Amino acid sequence: MTQRACKILVVDDEPDLQPLMRQRMRRYVRRGLYTFVFAQNGVEALEMLQEQQDIDLVLSDINMPKMDGLTLLQQIPKVDPDIRSVIISAYGDMKNIRTAMNRGAFDFVTKPIDFDDLKVTIDRTLRNLTEWREALASRDKLVALQNELDVASKMQQSILPTELPGTDEYKVAASMQPARAIGGDFFDFVHLDGGRIGIAVADVSDKGVPAALFMMSSRTLLKGAAIGGTGPGEVLYEVNNLLEEENESAMFVTVLYAEYNPATGELSYANGGHNSPVVFHEDGSSTVLPLTDGVALGLMPGLDYRQETVKLSPSDTLVLYTDGVTEAMNTDFEEFGLERLRSMFVESMPGDAEAINTAIFKAVADFAGDAPQSDDITCLTLRRITTDA
Amino acid sequence: MAISTSREGQTLIVKTEDRIDGANAREFQVDLEAAIDPNDRGLVLDLEQLSYVSSAGLRVILLTAKTLRKQNAKLAVCSLSDSVREVFEISGFDKIIPVHDNQAEAAAALAD
Repeated sequence: MTQRACKILVVDDEPDLQPLMRQRMRRYVRRGLYTFVFAQNGVEALEMLQEQQDIDLVLSDINMPKMDGLTLLQQIPKVDPDIRSVIISAYGDMKNIRTAMNRGAFDFVTKPIDFDDLKVTIDRTLRNLTEWREALASRDKLVALQNELDVASKMQQSILPTELPGTDEYKVAASMQPARAIGGDFFDFVHLDGGRIGIAVADVSDKGVPAALFMMSSRTLLKGAAIGGTGPGEVLYEVNNLLEEENESAMFVTVLYAEYNPATGELSYANGGHNSPVVFHEDGSSTVLPLTDGVALGLMPGLDYRQETVKLSPSDTLVLYTDGVTEAMNTDFEEFGLERLRSMFVESMPGDAEAINTAIFKAVADFAGDAPQSDDITCLTLRRITTDA
Repeated sequence: MAISTSREGQTLIVKTEDRIDGANAREFQVDLEAAIDPNDRGLVLDLEQLSYVSSAGLRVILLTAKTLRKQNAKLAVCSLSDSVREVFEISGFDKIIPVHDNQAEAAAALAD
């Protein structure tokens, strides 16, 4: 709490009280605990409250000319709702005491004033005021922090591409649904030479602010490496080494990075500890792309990342996803699972990437029902459209 | 995710159960750190009763390995359930943390 003396306004029309109060409380005034100011009635008290905004506590008599103590109690919150009031009443005057308490008095003392009791009452009141102010300050801090989180969340969403690539030959759709305000998943794409594109889906260990920071740097490094890179394996090798350099907190990110050539349907990919992508075929079957034995990025320098190449047939649909999809749980604690994902389009499949991607999110949401979402959910769909030239 | 501990010589054996995810990973980390003695030369994490581990849980295992390395000790995991084994394989953790079939094998490997 503030180290300044607490300022107490004493309101009483009896002229004797002022010297008595100063005399009996002089020790505490000398120690710098309290300072006193005095008013003769409610009107004067209100004026002083308006002029001196550092008054913490009002100690007021009830019966006074011009404006009595009970009326003053009603007026004080209009000047400052945080000021605490203590009423001085006649002994046994329960009716006025009840009225005063109902009008917001914090406590009361009775006449003749027992100054030891008054000291206890003042200190108790001031302690309450201090706690109240601290609570308000904490709340303000929390609100500020919440605002910052909201900003961070918006920033995070805003770095995700909104316009995804697509031509007559292929279309990409993607979405990320964070479990909390700040997520650890992301997806991205880059245009490469010869009309090729690089696509990525990634999942940072843990969630919240540290994960978000790690996600930001992962995403930047990945983008840079992808643009200058010579293939997915090389790209992950480079990002892994860069991430590991200053990673005391043992954060890591799993990444599926792939490069797609729309002209040939060729897809090269490298998997850094991430879930295996699924390719859905036109006949309702699906293929899980084999793991490439890559380790999650950021853990250990110098690791090699093998890449594989497959060919997407016309109408094949590649789905990259994070474990938020397969590990989504329903209220019976069952997981959505890879098999449920694979069986989604056995009967029929929407003809465009956006609809497929949306259908996956909907299937996960339907499955989870009322179960809370515990992990970020990300899904990126690439559909090959044209026939072979 | 309660943990139980025992010791064989300078090897600490920690068993954990149920799930380790974002909600209890921090607690798991604190419990693990408290269980480690500065004189321990090895830690076997027996995951037989663990049904699920998220990336947050993997991170704690990795942090523990780092902590142990500072006191010149090693970490091994053993007795992975199928679903936990799958997480280890997909994430590539099985390539940076030794995985064994049972406690005896893990303890023997750490003693080497």
